[in-house]
Amino acid sequence: MIKLTIDNRTIEVQPGTSVWQAAQSVGIEIPTMCYLEGTEHFTSCMICLVKDAKNGRFFASCSTPVIEGQVIISNDEETIESRKAALELLLSEHVGDCEAPCQLVCPAHMNIPLMNRLIAKGDFEKALEVVKRDIALPSILGRICPAPCEAGCRRKQVDESVSICLLKRYVGDEDLKSGKPYQPQLAELSGKKVAVIGSGPAGLAAAYYLQIKGHQAVIFEKNSGAGGELLQIGSEILPAEIIEQEVAQIVATGVQIKLNEFIDDNSFTELQTKFDAVVVATGTVAEGTSAFFLKTTKTGIEADKSSYLTSIPKVFAVGNSLRASKLAVRSVGQGKEVATIIDNYFKTDEVSGYPERFNSKFGRLAEVEFIQYQKDSENAPRQKADQSGFTKEAAIREAKRCMHCDCRNPESCVLRELSHRYQAVQKRFQTSERLNVEKFIHREGIVYEPAKCIKCGICVRLTRQHQEEFGFTFIGRGFDVKIDVPFNESVQKGLEKTAAIVAKACPTGALAMFGVEEQL
Amino acid sequence: MNNESNIPQTVDQIISEKGTAKRSVVPILQAIQNTFNYLPEEALKYVCQKTEITPEQIVGVASFYSQFRMQPAGEHIIKVCVGTACHVKGASQVYDALRRHFNLTGNEETDASRKYTIEKVSCLGCCTLAPVVQIDEITYGHVASDKVENVLADFEKHAGISSVKKGLFRNVDGSEIQGEIRIGLGSCCVASGSENVKKAVEETIAHTGIRISLKNVGCVGMCHQVPLVEVIPINEKPTLYAKVKPEDVAGIIASHFKPLGTFSMLKNSVYKFFESVQTDTVWDGVKQYSIDAREKQVSDFLDRQIPIATQHRGIINPLDIKEYERHEGFTAMKTCLMELTSEDIIETIKDSGLRGRGGAGFPTGQKWSLVAENKSDVKYLICNGDEGDPGAFMDRMLLESYPYRVIEGIVIAAKAVGATQGFFYIRAEYQLAVKRIRQALVYCRENNYLGENIIGSGFSFDITIYEGAGAFVCGEETALMQSIEGQRGFPQIRPPFPAVSGLWKQPTLINNTETYAQVSYIIREGPAKFAGIGQGTSKGTKVFALAGKVNRGGLIEVPMGITVRQIVEEIGGGVQNGKKFKAVQIGGPSGGCIPAELYDTPIDYESLHEVGAMMGSGGLVVLDETDCMVDIAHFFLSFTQNESCGKCTFCRVGTKRMLDILTKITTGKGTLKDLDELEYLAGWTKKGSLCGLGKTAPNPILSTLKYFHEEYIAHIEGRCPSGKCQSLIKYQINDLCIGCTLCAQKCPTEAILFKPHEKHEVITDLCIKCDACRQVCPVDAVEII
Repeated sequence: MIKLTIDNRTIEVQPGTSVWQAAQSVGIEIPTMCYLEGTEHFTSCMICLVKDAKNGRFFASCSTPVIEGQVIISNDEETIESRKAALELLLSEHVGDCEAPCQLVCPAHMNIPLMNRLIAKGDFEKALEVVKRDIALPSILGRICPAPCEAGCRRKQVDESVSICLLKRYVGDEDLKSGKPYQPQLAELSGKKVAVIGSGPAGLAAAYYLQIKGHQAVIFEKNSGAGGELLQIGSEILPAEIIEQEVAQIVATGVQIKLNEFIDDNSFTELQTKFDAVVVATGTVAEGTSAFFLKTTKTGIEADKSSYLTSIPKVFAVGNSLRASKLAVRSVGQGKEVATIIDNYFKTDEVSGYPERFNSKFGRLAEVEFIQYQKDSENAPRQKADQSGFTKEAAIREAKRCMHCDCRNPESCVLRELSHRYQAVQKRFQTSERLNVEKFIHREGIVYEPAKCIKCGICVRLTRQHQEEFGFTFIGRGFDVKIDVPFNESVQKGLEKTAAIVAKACPTGALAMFGVEEQL
Repeated sequence: MNNESNIPQTVDQIISEKGTAKRSVVPILQAIQNTFNYLPEEALKYVCQKTEITPEQIVGVASFYSQFRMQPAGEHIIKVCVGTACHVKGASQVYDALRRHFNLTGNEETDASRKYTIEKVSCLGCCTLAPVVQIDEITYGHVASDKVENVLADFEKHAGISSVKKGLFRNVDGSEIQGEIRIGLGSCCVASGSENVKKAVEETIAHTGIRISLKNVGCVGMCHQVPLVEVIPINEKPTLYAKVKPEDVAGIIASHFKPLGTFSMLKNSVYKFFESVQTDTVWDGVKQYSIDAREKQVSDFLDRQIPIATQHRGIINPLDIKEYERHEGFTAMKTCLMELTSEDIIETIKDSGLRGRGGAGFPTGQKWSLVAENKSDVKYLICNGDEGDPGAFMDRMLLESYPYRVIEGIVIAAKAVGATQGFFYIRAEYQLAVKRIRQALVYCRENNYLGENIIGSGFSFDITIYEGAGAFVCGEETALMQSIEGQRGFPQIRPPFPAVSGLWKQPTLINNTETYAQVSYIIREGPAKFAGIGQGTSKGTKVFALAGKVNRGGLIEVPMGITVRQIVEEIGGGVQNGKKFKAVQIGGPSGGCIPAELYDTPIDYESLHEVGAMMGSGGLVVLDETDCMVDIAHFFLSFTQNESCGKCTFCRVGTKRMLDILTKITTGKGTLKDLDELEYLAGWTKKGSLCGLGKTAPNPILSTLKYFHEEYIAHIEGRCPSGKCQSLIKYQINDLCIGCTLCAQKCPTEAILFKPHEKHEVITDLCIKCDACRQVCPVDAVEII
């Protein structure tokens, strides 16, 4: 047995064990991307660097056998920095979007591409579920949203953007028409209660998601009907029954709406004592007017940008109360976010900002890349819709125009996960032109996107291990090295036995099975 | 060139010679390329059918090594050397001029007529002739960008002519010898035309009947004076002639030897010589160059040096095994094989203090004992001759000129560690070295210095040659072993060290060529004598390739501890053209720059490390005030970036990003933040890379950032103080202009506005900064601002 120390813990392992395995054996997790148990180590990504405390040198823990008396550090500032540096270098040449530009542009951060794919498959129920993860009022927004997402849509560069807003309206309307509209899974009640002042888009959304998370939401609405500013919109655009029906879906989750309840300064103080948190969603605060003793700015109530916490503890503010806007989708998004923030606060007793995930992004497509993206979509003109929205056929056809800009492995991608963990900045070392995106798509099998590859060689080792006739190999060397099938054979031919195996093992989204959906 | 229609037959033939094992892949590819001038895909597929080699392996390997071409090349290959010495003397402008000449755009390398392919090569090892261009087998030195056309014209003129008939040289027996003529046949000498000089000598001998023996000797080291011819009449003092031209030869011979032939011989051919000798300017030319060993220049160049690896230089014919024996050759080997135990040998090497000459300086004796300790039936020994530094050619010189000394050292090491099989790993570009070693191995076997039961000692050992295929990283020992095994030259993490698990997982001793070349001296002269040379923990001597802006460049072997100043000023004769010394770049792409204020730094492992440089493999390039240090950093980094194997993140992406930033800076687009990021990346690439290539790649940046920080700042402010960085300079013509129009005639883009006899003017917008005008101006009227 060999005795060594990792992060001040003494460990005894068999000779020949790697430092990484030794750490693993006692629950010290050292990240890695290029190492895969069952294949030989390759020492490529260098994410697993650790420090030898005796000489200060760094080495790759995945490939180095333990030595008697070693003293290893895996978690000090310098080691963490080494991981960040390696990640930032890898990211500097990583051409791919974790999430599609439309989703990033959407103020509610709705998973648009996933909705599109489900619609394309004709699975409208699942599509609606996906929409409702982020948007509490799809039928309403489907009628009034100015659709910033469509400005971000990549398809716009090729011909016209995908008609996202109408697609969302379609699944929303289909759901309402179905007779048994979708009801989300509700968490067990926590016993916590939250007061929501105002039943506009922000308040409704906040209440809906709080309720889903198990916290009793009570909306106080000064008017006789719920909807806030939505009620100001002409019925030729937004019929009243659509508002009623969507509000009914929210009430169906258990949210209480108290109509004709005007909250003044006194009753506000009361709410603070009776409820575990208060969400102010009162709509636009006119300049110079006061709002429940809360500090205000020129535009409205002053609140932390990422947590919506106001100057008073446990009081949050969302929607137009922060700043007047015609973007209902922004208010709906904030309602969802504040629910998560409050939920986290209840669980941890600490208020922190809305969790933002790392997102790799690369901006506009080059013209030569259009054709690559069109491989993932159907080549049809933007579908027309009349006043009643899309027909089923038109919706499916339109959804198929979506080019799948988002990554196929957004959840399993280790690069994304680690970049998030170590707060790597993608742009930091982007000092020269990026690679062009290429997509090799085999619709019954694998999709290969070389510009997302980190050259870890796991797939090369696996295809060799499984004795593929062609397999993958390294082509070229240095910065320009790429992984490809020898003799320009197709990816399909290269991976006759191992497509699913390499797709699973790939630490990024470079290799994935065609139909995979990780976010369902 | 072979017809591509019979690929299967040709490949079958190759396979039958090279074998069907995976390890044969590189030799097979080399043979295919030799036959077809590139690697036809059909041939590679056929190899996969007929051998153990898989598509993954063959494509991976073929695309890794830069020697291999997947597309047919032109009829002639033009290699533009872009090594350090050539770089500082304008190689990239020569390259650009060639591309312009052939109208090459984008990534094109072959001209429209498919006659010429232009390639950059990292070093042709003729640093003293910089800039150097090689077309097929003909090497041109001192090529300026405006001389490109002359070079091509000359090549076209000679390409069709078959070489002069061989066999004119008459062998004479010892008694009749009137003397001896020695001609250097190291690479520099050959490149500078010594072959033609040799032919001229042979012809002269044939025509005059003068009985002299002509002898080829290895590199003398005085590469700044090549070709060198030494004439040694019996009982007279020898005379060394430098920079000899073929037309000079007859005159030289005539001045030393009287023709023996009949009157008629005198009358017909030689008489003409003597006439011309009296009148022709050629003779004056030779006189000018004639240097005498007693002259100060030569004695300065040689006196400071201690030849150990290069012992008997300029005396021994590289391949004459008898002569090597006469100069104590193989005596050390005999002692080791017949008298000493393995422990004795290792102890002796340990006592001598010898450290690895490949750069890192690991104690050699200690390495040997590590290998010796590992019991195994099979042990390998490798001689690392994969010298790839742009600006270093010591290994090449040792292999070409002292093949037996290297082999002797290897056999001694083999005995010491118990190795059963040896490999010479020699860089692909070193054709002459490969040829010499191959021949030397044959002679050694004939003399039983290799093979079964060597000289009756009971010890058996033999060596095979493995030619590298063009990858600098294969100088790294683990990558080198991968390469021999027939894989891409990816370095492997250590441990396990080669001493424990090396080639094919067997204990392996791997030393640098120069290290082996030092061994026989140590055994013969005793460790104390060797250890008496040098200082501190750096014992003995080190061979350097001295080049750049120095008066006398060449190969030098100096005692450890000698200072940079002594090398440059005393051996090198100071900086060329009276320019100011700025720095010396030592250790190539792994090394650093030593600035003028550290001129007295002694050359030893520790001192060099302390100032941020490194022994490296021994390139020593002198830089003067006209050299831009940011450009130098950029130059070395482009080299390492290009040579990175692409395995680990820090080297693969880190070197690329540092190069991007340096490019930004040298084109005037840099910011102060870029300097911080450059330093950050340099730091992490050094700390985080897998192998020595990546770990040392940032050194040229770190050392220039340290000593020449103000030059980086100047570039950020939009100035290149040395006038090197093209984007930051402009050409203009000053009042010295005499209106001769020469510059305008040379200008490839008609960027010079001229009227005869009036001052000319550069149209900056049209100027491509090729420097042709400045080089051609007779009155230095073209200046860079």
